[in-house]
Amino acid sequence: MALLRRILALRRRAQLDREIEAELREHMQMCIDDSLAAGMSREEAEREARLRFGNPAVTRERVTAEDAAVGLDSLFRDLRFAVRGFVKTPGFTIIAVLTLALGIGATTAIFSIVEGVLLRPLRFPRPDQLVILTDNLRDAEAGGGKDEAGVTGPDIVNYTRNTHSFSALGGYDKHPTTYELSGIGEPAQVIATRMTPGVFAALGVHPLLGRPYTQQEDDAHQQVTVLSYATWQSRFRGDSAIIGQKILLDRKPYAVIGVMPRNFEFPLLPGHLNRSEFWIPMSFRPDELTGSTQASWAFNMVGRLKPGVTTAQARQDADRVAEETMHNYPAFMADLHINPVVRELHEDTIAHARPLIRTLFLAVAVVLLIACANLAGLLLVRAIRRRREIAVRLALGSSSATLLRQMLLESLALSLTGGLAGLALAGLALNLGTRMLPETLPLISSIGLDSSVAAFALTLAVVTGFLCGVAPAFAAIRTNVNETLKEGGRTGSSSAGHARLRSGLVIAEVAVAIVLLVASGLLLRSFVKMREADLGYRPDHTVAAAYNLPPKQYDTQTAVDRFNEELLRRAQGLPGVTSVGLTSFLPANGTSGSGAFLAEGYVPPKPGVIDFATQVLVQGDLFHAMGTPLLRGRLFTEADNNPKAQLVVIVNHQLAQQSWPGQDPIGKRLRVGTQEMQTPWATVVGEVASMKEGSPDTDPRQQLYYPIEQAETLYGSLANPTDLNGNGGFIVLRTSLLPELVENQLRATIRSLDPQLAPAQIETMEQAIGGSEAPRRFNTVLISSFAAVALLLALFGIYSVIAFTVAMRVQEMAIRMALGSQRSGIVSLVLSSGLKLAAIGCVIGLGGALFASHLLKSFVFGVSTLDTMVLTLAGCTVLLLAAAASLLPAHHAAAINPVDALRAE
Amino acid sequence: MAKNDLQGALDLLILKTLSQLGAMHGYGIVTHIRRVSEERIIVEEGSLYPALHRIEQNGWVSASWAVTQYGRKAKYYALTRTGREQLAEREKNWDQVAKGVQAILRFA
Repeated sequence: MALLRRILALRRRAQLDREIEAELREHMQMCIDDSLAAGMSREEAEREARLRFGNPAVTRERVTAEDAAVGLDSLFRDLRFAVRGFVKTPGFTIIAVLTLALGIGATTAIFSIVEGVLLRPLRFPRPDQLVILTDNLRDAEAGGGKDEAGVTGPDIVNYTRNTHSFSALGGYDKHPTTYELSGIGEPAQVIATRMTPGVFAALGVHPLLGRPYTQQEDDAHQQVTVLSYATWQSRFRGDSAIIGQKILLDRKPYAVIGVMPRNFEFPLLPGHLNRSEFWIPMSFRPDELTGSTQASWAFNMVGRLKPGVTTAQARQDADRVAEETMHNYPAFMADLHINPVVRELHEDTIAHARPLIRTLFLAVAVVLLIACANLAGLLLVRAIRRRREIAVRLALGSSSATLLRQMLLESLALSLTGGLAGLALAGLALNLGTRMLPETLPLISSIGLDSSVAAFALTLAVVTGFLCGVAPAFAAIRTNVNETLKEGGRTGSSSAGHARLRSGLVIAEVAVAIVLLVASGLLLRSFVKMREADLGYRPDHTVAAAYNLPPKQYDTQTAVDRFNEELLRRAQGLPGVTSVGLTSFLPANGTSGSGAFLAEGYVPPKPGVIDFATQVLVQGDLFHAMGTPLLRGRLFTEADNNPKAQLVVIVNHQLAQQSWPGQDPIGKRLRVGTQEMQTPWATVVGEVASMKEGSPDTDPRQQLYYPIEQAETLYGSLANPTDLNGNGGFIVLRTSLLPELVENQLRATIRSLDPQLAPAQIETMEQAIGGSEAPRRFNTVLISSFAAVALLLALFGIYSVIAFTVAMRVQEMAIRMALGSQRSGIVSLVLSSGLKLAAIGCVIGLGGALFASHLLKSFVFGVSTLDTMVLTLAGCTVLLLAAAASLLPAHHAAAINPVDALRAE
Repeated sequence: MAKNDLQGALDLLILKTLSQLGAMHGYGIVTHIRRVSEERIIVEEGSLYPALHRIEQNGWVSASWAVTQYGRKAKYYALTRTGREQLAEREKNWDQVAKGVQAILRFA
């Protein structure tokens, strides 16, 4: 209370001054009045009053001091004092502020990612009610990693109609699809997501312009679409007259009926590239509900729980519906068993990103720790240098509380400056860096500096300043006044306690730097291993282009075949092209085409387990174009391009090993689909190397190749006469020229076949792989740069401690030399003191690295987390650099002129 | 025993005076102490006002401007409840201090 009153008093300073003056003046007057009444002359009375009162200015000041916060006033005085001190020692100030700016800046930048991705609630109303509903397909390896497969068309219909736990529920494409946009401006490839209107209702977001589509429109196969804000701005210049206009998606007319708000994003997929630009009604095709694709778990569902309903209750509700759905399964699906899963949407979105972000945060916290240790070390050295000043002040009556406050204030002033600089640094880094973030992070658009990030940075600065300031401040006020002053002009050796504290800080820095260095070493080796990994194909001199034939125009298999054959023929004729192939699947492209198959003679480990393989339709000389080596048997020939010929397939090494271990796969038979499906057997004619499907650090999967022409026959009863094969995929070219040169010719060739066909995404296979390697490159670069910063700071710490020790021991060195010590002896004395610190730090750090290795397990590839080479290298690097850092002070020590040094005292 | 009791003597005198006079201004307090102590204790203005303002900041007295019987404007101080409690405590302490001082003076 008293403090509050004082602060208020400070605000009313001017008024208070007047009041005090009036009070004292009246006092004088009363005194004079009394003296007059006692019979004195006015002159005498005034003199008497002034004499009694003493110096009115002094009294006034003392009264004011009682009123206007003594504490606050002296706070400003201390601050001015601190700033003056910093200006006098610019070297110290700049280094301290930079150290902090680096530490706090890096931490803040990473925190803004943590905050944007992990902590901030999704940008939907009441996001806690939003859940994902998906099927767990027992004993199947469909879907990504886990058994969660998504949902099927019939599932969407059944769950939506028969559950009672959701206030709204809708289904959407698990993987948004590329469509050709035309009818307005240049034709382009755009990403669109099919979804039921329930999704809009569940998310609770209304379009900015226009309206969402209705269930009636969805059911009636009305061709309407809702645009994303970004697309509306970039493709349609934000023109609100777009509502009601027609655009062509895959050459079918769609009416634009709405534009979503700016920050609406759905599905919440990782990265920048998959963001949906158009949303169109689900309008299930007949085959998706009753035909062959009813067994395709290609969709997901999102729902909003009714108030008070828990995820567990919703799951029970869905369980009941799933039982019913399975009861009505057609014969070929009788073996399948689904379990619905209900999970919070936010959890589902960020689950994959969590380990990466946690690791980043840990790494950056470590850098901050080192920065703190350095600052503490700097402040400590500064305090020791000022021991005489402090001793004099203590002797003159300064209270140790005052000194403590002053020193803490100094470190706080430093850290806040550093914090502000760090915030600016973080802003800069985020501006440049968000585009470099890996495509595996979701919710990238919500990453940025905002008030909570700024608050985080400043809190960090204050805490840092306080923690770094406390130890040196206490060390300083423990100064023994008598001893220090008695030492006279000598700089003297500092107390053992201070030395221990400084050494401890440096050891901690070295230890922490080692942990980071080991992590970065492991990641670098993983990266190298990944680059060396056998891809199963040769990405050099290879160009691939994606294309999609719009079904509106290419409505028969003949039309599709004619286009493909002509494309192959013309591409073959391009200069420098050695081989060309068409494929429905391209590695390192993010696509996959997984399907069930049955190998003859293969007994699954558990009954009912379904085998899945990536099934690839090929035409032309794909394996030569990709550079995939043939291991056994033969490749496809022209004769295989015939639905009436013997059905043939080529399998990869992985599939051959898994289905027929230790046997020659050539001549074995397999068929697509499951046990119950009516499909014909095909004969294996060749075995090729396993292609890595995604990034080179993924495990190979089973792959199965067959000619496009035979696909229809191969599907047997699963086939649908209206199905088209080969109407979308990739053309792969191997060239003897620079691959970049072929890109334009390939584009021109596609244009010459169909001028309306949108410019397909064309890239060299090396570019494609580069894209798939991006997440690992990102981790590696980031952790390595953290390690570099940590190492730099630690070396700086070693240097400053050794240099300081040498400066303190000048006389000792001089005496040693005067007594006959060799210069080389002095050098090794100083060197060994630096190396001793580094060695202790190394041992502790390597211990810590072993301890932390389990954290890195999911990030390394092809190396053990206890890789001896990395551990040894990290240790040696630190020792070598520590030696280098102590060498300069050692030379200084050896260069001391004993006569000068001793005379200086 | 409480600390600073010797320095606290002035505070005690002021608080006691105010408890005897009710509301009073600085000059009145000085005059009262001087008269009652029969000129033995003369409080200097240079000490009185800082002490008065400190006591006010501590919330032991409240202050308000009023006009004296001779028509001068003056700042009147009056004890608050915490001020009375403070006074009671200090009076008790003072007895101890006085006895202690006496004992030291009589020590031969």
